[in-house]
Amino acid sequence: MSETSDDWKAAWRPVINQIGADLVDGATFFGIDRAEPGAIRRYLEPLEFECALHTDAETARAYGFADVTAPYTAISTWAAAPVWEPGEQMFTSAERNALPARLSVKPAMPPGGPPVSNYFATDSEVEYLRPVLAGERLGRRGNRLIGCSPKETRVGRGAFLSYEWDVVTEAGEVVARQRATMFWY
Amino acid sequence: MTQKTWNQAEVGDALGPIAFPLSVYRLIVAAAANRDFNAIHHNSEYAKSTGAPEMYANGMFLQGMWERTLREYMGLAGTLRRIAGFRMNSFNCVGETVVVKGEVVRKWQDGETGLLEVKMWSENGDRITVGPGLVTLTLPMDAAIDA
Repeated sequence: MSETSDDWKAAWRPVINQIGADLVDGATFFGIDRAEPGAIRRYLEPLEFECALHTDAETARAYGFADVTAPYTAISTWAAAPVWEPGEQMFTSAERNALPARLSVKPAMPPGGPPVSNYFATDSEVEYLRPVLAGERLGRRGNRLIGCSPKETRVGRGAFLSYEWDVVTEAGEVVARQRATMFWY
Repeated sequence: MTQKTWNQAEVGDALGPIAFPLSVYRLIVAAAANRDFNAIHHNSEYAKSTGAPEMYANGMFLQGMWERTLREYMGLAGTLRRIAGFRMNSFNCVGETVVVKGEVVRKWQDGETGLLEVKMWSENGDRITVGPGLVTLTLPMDAAIDA
C-alpha cells in the first residue's frame, strides 16, 4: 500500500503531544566561557562591526557600563557548550566531513519523533533586557517546546520545532528571553 | 559614530544599505567567532549532503549584520529592546552578497523613554532572504544629549 500524502505527518504526533513541556525541566546550562573581551572583539571581526562600546572600556564607562559590553546578538555565543572538554575524545576520524563525537551546537530533539539527521534554524525572536558585560557568564534556563509543524520543504520532509528559553547570568538574572524555530529533517 | 536622538529620528528614516559579501574565509571566521560550528556553515560538501545548495551563513552572523546596521543608525547611546520576525526564508550561501536594509516605521514615547520600531530585512540578489522583521530600539532624547 502506498503512503498517503499525510501519513508521514502522523509520525510527528508524539512530538506534537509534548508542546508545552520543558524538555530540560527548567534546568540551566551555562556556557563554557565568560564573555571575555577578546571573544567579544572576535565576534565583531566577520561583521566589520565598529562600535567602541564593545572594544573600549573607557567609552563603555562613559555610557554608563562597568566594562565593555557584548553585542546583543551574541548572547547565544556566551551560552554555547564546549566543543571539547578534558577527558573527552571528540575527533576520532580523518574522514573529510567527519563530525565530532558530540556536537556542541545541536538543539534538543524531543523523544518519540521520527528519525531525523539534519536541522537548521529558521526563525528567532529575542527580547533583550540589558546588555551583557565583559566577564559575565551566561546560561540557557529551560527549553520549552512551543510548536511542532510537520512540513515538506525543498530539503525534504520534516517539522518546524519552536522552543523558548531564558538567558540568565550566574546570579540568575534574566538578560534576554529567546524563541527560536528549527527545521528538523 | 554619529549619535541619533529620538527627536531627530523620523518615520521613514532609512537604515543601510550595508553589504556583506560571503566568502569561505568570512564564513569560517564567523563560525569561529560566534561558535556555531554546525558544518552546514563552513563545509560545502557537508552542506550539499543535507540538501542545501552550498555552505551558508549561520543565524547569529545574519543577526549580527542587522545589529551592525542598527548600531550605525542609533549611535552609541541607543539600545536594542527586541528583535522579532527574524525569519530566514532561504539560504545565504557562499559566493553571494547579503545586503541589509531597514526603515523606521513607528516612533513613540513611554514615559521618558524614546522608542522606535524599525522594519529590517536582508536582501540577496532579487530575494529577501531574512525578514522583514521588526526591531524595537531606544534613542536618547535631545535633552539627555544636551545635558
